[in-house]
Formats: sequence, C-alpha cells, structure tokens
Amino acid sequence: METISVTWILADGSRRSAEVVTGSNLMQAALDNGIDGIVGQCGGSLACATCHVIVENAPAPLPEIAPDEDDMLDMAEPERVCASRLSCQLAAAPELDGIVLRVP
Amino acid sequence: MSNAPAYEIDPKAFWTDPYPDLKRMRAETPIAYVPQLGATLLTRRDDIFENEKKIEIFSSDQPQGLMTVLMGQNLMRKDGAAHMAERKAIFPSVSPKTVKSVWKAAFEKQTAKALEELRLLGAADMLKDVAKRISGEALKAITGLTNMSWQEMDRVSQGMIDGCANYAGDRDVEARCHDCTASIDRHIDEMIPLLRERPDCSMLSVQIQAGLPEESVRANIKLAISGGQNEPRDVIAGLVWTLLTHPEQLSLIRTGGATWLQAFEEYARWISPIGMSPRRVAQAYTLKGVTFAPEDRVFLMFGSGNRDESVFDAPEKFDITRDTSASIAFGAGPHFCAGAWASRCLIAEVALPMIFERLPDLSLAGDVPFGGWAFRGPLEMPVYWSPATRKP
Repeated sequence: METISVTWILADGSRRSAEVVTGSNLMQAALDNGIDGIVGQCGGSLACATCHVIVENAPAPLPEIAPDEDDMLDMAEPERVCASRLSCQLAAAPELDGIVLRVP
Repeated sequence: MSNAPAYEIDPKAFWTDPYPDLKRMRAETPIAYVPQLGATLLTRRDDIFENEKKIEIFSSDQPQGLMTVLMGQNLMRKDGAAHMAERKAIFPSVSPKTVKSVWKAAFEKQTAKALEELRLLGAADMLKDVAKRISGEALKAITGLTNMSWQEMDRVSQGMIDGCANYAGDRDVEARCHDCTASIDRHIDEMIPLLRERPDCSMLSVQIQAGLPEESVRANIKLAISGGQNEPRDVIAGLVWTLLTHPEQLSLIRTGGATWLQAFEEYARWISPIGMSPRRVAQAYTLKGVTFAPEDRVFLMFGSGNRDESVFDAPEKFDITRDTSASIAFGAGPHFCAGAWASRCLIAEVALPMIFERLPDLSLAGDVPFGGWAFRGPLEMPVYWSPATRKP
C-alpha cells in the first residue's frame, strides 16, 4: 500500500511524523495518530471547524478552498490565517509526500 | 440482540434523573443491554466518539424506525453520499456566515419584542412564556415557515418528538403526531409558491433552489423543527436556571471573566438537551467483547458521554471555565448537528445576554423540575423580575 509522510507541528513546538496511506483523509490521519489539538468532532461533514491546521509546507499545490470550507474556516479557533485549512478537506495525495501541518 | 450484559432500569426513575444509572453503567457495564428500552447503550464518551463515525456498522438508515415512519426519511436517517448531498443543500440556510449576516438580526428583533412585551408583567414562566417563544420565532425564520405561530411551532415539535418516542404504540400519541406533521405540510404548501417567487436563505427555500425532491424537502423541514425547537428552548430556560443557582458563575460572565458562549457549551455538556441518538446495526460487529447482530438497536448516550469521568474532571459540576472541547453535545460524527452555529448565536449571543439585561433582578419563584433522558430540560420555571426599574 502506498503511503506518504505527513508531519504535524504541535502547539508545544514538537514534531510528529507518520506514514499515511494515500487517498486517506488528513483529519482522520491525525486522529489515528493521536495528534493533540485535532478533535475532528463532525467526522468531516464540514460542520465544526475542529480540525483546523496551518499548512507550513506543501510539496505541491493543494486543492482550492471550496466555499463551504471557506465559510467554516471563519469559525476556526484560533482565527484563520492565509495558510489555514480544515484538514478534513485534504486528502493524502502522492504529490503531497512530506507535507508539514501546524496545529494552531 | 447483542450479547452485552443486561442493565435493568426503572423507566420512571430513569426519566426523572438518568444520571445515577448512567454513572453506574459507565463504571460497571459501559456497553449494556437495557431490556426496558430494547436497546444496547454506549455510555462512554470515547466509545461513542469512535463508533458514531462507523456508519457502515452503526447506521442511521432506520426504515422501520418511528421517525422515518412518522416524519418521512430525512437526512439524519440517511448515510454516506445521500446524507452529504442533502446536507450540502441545506448548508446555506445554517452556515456560520448566514447565521451571522442574516439570522442574528432576526433573532435580536424577535427576542427584543418578546422581552419588551413580557417585561411589564414582572413575572412569567421562563420555559413556557419566554424560551418557547424565542426558540419558536428563531425557528420560523430559519425554516421559512413564517406563516406559523410560535405556539404552533412548539406544539408540532413536541407532537413529533412524542411520536418518535412512542415505542409503546399509544394510538393517541400517534394521532397527535400525524396531526402535527399535517399542520407542517399545510404551512409548507402555503409557503412554497411564495418562496419560489422570492427565494431567500430559509431552509425551505434553499432546498427548493437546490432542486431536492419534495418528499426530502418536507422531511428535512420536519427534522429541523423536531431538532430546532425543544432543544434551544430547553437550553435557554435551563441555562437561566443554572446561572441563577450558580450566581458566582453568572458574575464571572458579568465581570468579563468568562463568556456567554462558555456558559452555553458547558450547559450543553452538563445537561445535554439531546441525551441520545439511535442507530441500527447494519452488520455483525464486535466491540470490546460485545457482539452486535444485524438489526440491533443501539443508543449513543451523549448525555452520559458528556459526564464521563475519564474525560472530564468532576463531570457532575457545572463549571463554565472548563475545557469543553471533548463534549459530544452536538454529536460526534457525520451527523453532527447542522444547527450548531444557529443555536450558539441564538442562545449565547442573543437570548441569554438579552434576558439578563432586560429582565432586571431576575429571580426564581418556585421549584424547577427537570425531566427526560433522550431529550432533557426543565419542565416549568416560574420567575419574577423588577418590571419597571429601567427601560432597555
């Protein structure tokens, strides 16, 4: 099974990396790896904004922010920045191998 | 039937106060079959949080369930792509942006009007006269059923909720539920041509604009009513009672040490207005030594998970300063409450601050009994205040 490397920078500055199966959801990957600060309350139905991440480094362009995600990002805590995404809307695409996400 | 250990309840005592039984279940039999309810209960927060997402096992599609039979198959009784498509269609009516730019002003106007009319009376029932009206007026706006009175909104909501809990098959309860859904359909019939002419952000209008089949449109409006009237009503009244009986926490809000939103989130954790969500087991599954068989009925006990000692310190204590991010008051999976943002705005930004500001010296005038475990809230709540000390 093909995987990519995903790194999360936690609130305390420490880094956690995991091999994530391509195609899987990055919010779910964070939950599966016990990443503190990613709650993923709504299971990816775009209703809660509790999987907010800041993209520190993406090896390839990410899919554009859809209007529904954009709406929900307005409610994210702490307040959104330019590189903010809801990780439930990101999939582990092969070209994203090495992506770095910061948990705000 | 699952092979979970059985836990017997006294249905009446469980309705009056389910928390002692739920506490024992969490400690001794966290996954328990309760014969009086004919269901297997998941009572621990993490079990609910993890398993609510396994929709291929714990399915929301319950064709024989009372809600589907009585109210039509709404999006909460669908899973996967069918659920997401309808959820996307209703999103513009309940999105944080619409709540902020459209509904908040409507909530403020109607709440101000209600409180102004009540203020001079000096006394009322917080549940029946205040919370019911604020909740009903808000729901009229969001659903698009502006042709319905708030009293009728409350009646049809209660009628459907009673119908969905009518496991004993009482014919009067069933007849009342049919009467309520018929009333909603008549109000929808009246509004459809008006909203086709002048589309707006209401849930009825955005579903028509999205081209959803009419049976889905109608079922989703009924869902919004059964999930959008009693719950904010019960939280508004319940939270007013809680703050009056925890004056130190009320003054923390008033002095800026905490927010109304924190109080709202903590109340929803402490006395979750929706204490349970049912599921149908779609395929055999084993969880922590308990084997579930297809067609088993499972109850996800949100009200219990929110008092899980392994997640929340002193869970029986109401403390608005606690971290409530692990709360599952709005659910914990793809069926996460679509009205969450509307309820936060209505209750934390509008209703609670306005009630405490415009009903000066608000005080309790009698006992406030609570009831229910699937839905829980105060049953009555006599209050009084200084009628004419100041004009808002």
